[in-house]
Amino acid sequence: MSDRLEVALSLQVPGFDLDVSWSAGGGVAVLFGPSGAGKTLTLQCLAGLIPPNAGRIVVDGHVLFDSASGVNVPAQARRVGYVFQGYALFPHLTVTENVGFGLRDLPRARRAERAAAVIERLGLAGLEHRYPRELSGGQRQRVALGRALAIDPALLLLDEPLSALDAPLRRALRDELRALLTDLGTAAVLVTHDFTEAYRLGDRIVVYDAGRVVQSAPRSELLWQPASESVARIMGIRNVLRGTVVKATPDRIQFRWRGQLLEAVNSPSRSYLPAAERPIAFFIRPEYVRLIRKDRGPADPSHHMNLMDGVVVGEEDFGTTWSLRIRLTAAGEPAQGDHDLEVEVPHLVYEILEIDRDRRWQFSIHRGSIHVLPA
Amino acid sequence: MLSLRVAILATVLNALIGVPLAWALARRRFPGRALLDLLVTMPLILPPTVTGYYLIVLFGRRGWLGGPLYQMTGWSIAFTWYAAVVAATIMALPLLVRTAKAAFESVDRDLERAAFTLGRSELRTAVEVTLPLARNGILAGLVLAFARALGEFGATLMLAGNIPGKTATVPLAIYTAVQTGEDAAALLLVVVLSALSCVVIVAANRLGARAT
Repeated sequence: MSDRLEVALSLQVPGFDLDVSWSAGGGVAVLFGPSGAGKTLTLQCLAGLIPPNAGRIVVDGHVLFDSASGVNVPAQARRVGYVFQGYALFPHLTVTENVGFGLRDLPRARRAERAAAVIERLGLAGLEHRYPRELSGGQRQRVALGRALAIDPALLLLDEPLSALDAPLRRALRDELRALLTDLGTAAVLVTHDFTEAYRLGDRIVVYDAGRVVQSAPRSELLWQPASESVARIMGIRNVLRGTVVKATPDRIQFRWRGQLLEAVNSPSRSYLPAAERPIAFFIRPEYVRLIRKDRGPADPSHHMNLMDGVVVGEEDFGTTWSLRIRLTAAGEPAQGDHDLEVEVPHLVYEILEIDRDRRWQFSIHRGSIHVLPA
Repeated sequence: MLSLRVAILATVLNALIGVPLAWALARRRFPGRALLDLLVTMPLILPPTVTGYYLIVLFGRRGWLGGPLYQMTGWSIAFTWYAAVVAATIMALPLLVRTAKAAFESVDRDLERAAFTLGRSELRTAVEVTLPLARNGILAGLVLAFARALGEFGATLMLAGNIPGKTATVPLAIYTAVQTGEDAAALLLVVVLSALSCVVIVAANRLGARAT
């Protein structure tokens, strides 16, 4: 599929330097990264609110900005729908007036018709004459969306569209927004610093860090193959660790970590072959660490890969799961402060194994669950 | 009543000059912006007689503006009731401009950005979005400007003089009454002006409270 959206921006503002280039096909592109990474600045450049020093913006073949040929379509003429963080609804105008604000060029009757259609589509019927302060958070979000959609935008921009909402509502509206965006088929760029949100809403995820793009990939690829240790850390992946290579082959990597010899699957698609004694970064998802039951005899090293001994040094209850902090019995400093690994177990497992009484455990990690991060 | 006429005209002039000025100072970046801000604010800090002196230098019979005008028409604004209006306008301007500027600045920039993406020019955005949302702050500024214009003394005395029935506004009349020993007349005017000022402060506070 050809790219519907091509973005290359270079912008220097006091104390910040944005230099990014990415492209996206259809659907939703999510700009993901920590606060202050340049995500909102990118949206403002796309909308024409801030001119970049150099770059090129193309939406569905229409050049909106090109410093090389001197093209800079003003914000007013870009047909870009912008849902602002906090929504920026006009407080002195009603729902209908807000939604119809961008339709001034249409004749009065057409304008009313279009606004009514959008209000209906977003389930805001009955609220036409309310003012923004008389609406709930979820309703405000929909009015902001409606106001942006009313102009039939070529590109939809959404800046943290769910951050102003309470947690339960947030989850419900996230799935509702996903359905709406899929249904519309308008090219959209959404900004968030929440990885779950990025993963649920994005077809492609562009990871930002300090004004640069550190990875741009379809969402599933990003989830299982972060491009680097820094991407893994920005994504909030737990147990990002460092070891030393022993031997790497196209389908296996062996390495040393905390006195243990571990083995991981090498991704055939990337066949990463670092030399022996090179440092290596990897991560282990906390929910993929297996505790070995003691009532079934001693662990079998041929069956249980990457077998280790450890002690539970701390735990936190997350409602449906327990997060355990485990320290290896091996000598030396623990890898993550007071512990080496974070392990997540369901409540049921925690109760059956009586982990609250029994603190010493053997555990194993399948080689497919250790993910090596290219340097 | 002369004082009211002067104060109302000065307030209208403030609205016409001061509101666009406050918007420009709050939202536009242009060369000389800091200097303009300084000039508008000066009368707030300077002794009124100093402001009055500058006004004479500008509008007097031999002034930079008043001189050529006097030579062409034989008419000068000095010592007419128009001079009282000019003095009151300049003295009240900083109060309006500072209040209105703060009101414009308190309008969320994202609201203006939203209007731009929805096809509005900068000027239309100012009229349709920024101005209505800054309205209460601007009205509070106008009320304050009106009160200041009504109570203006020093600069008026310098530029317009104290001519009974012609340029003698209430504050000037109070001064004359005290000087000539007409204590009863002075007291009456003092009470009227004090009461009016109280009303104005309450009104300005109410408008200010609604603005937030």
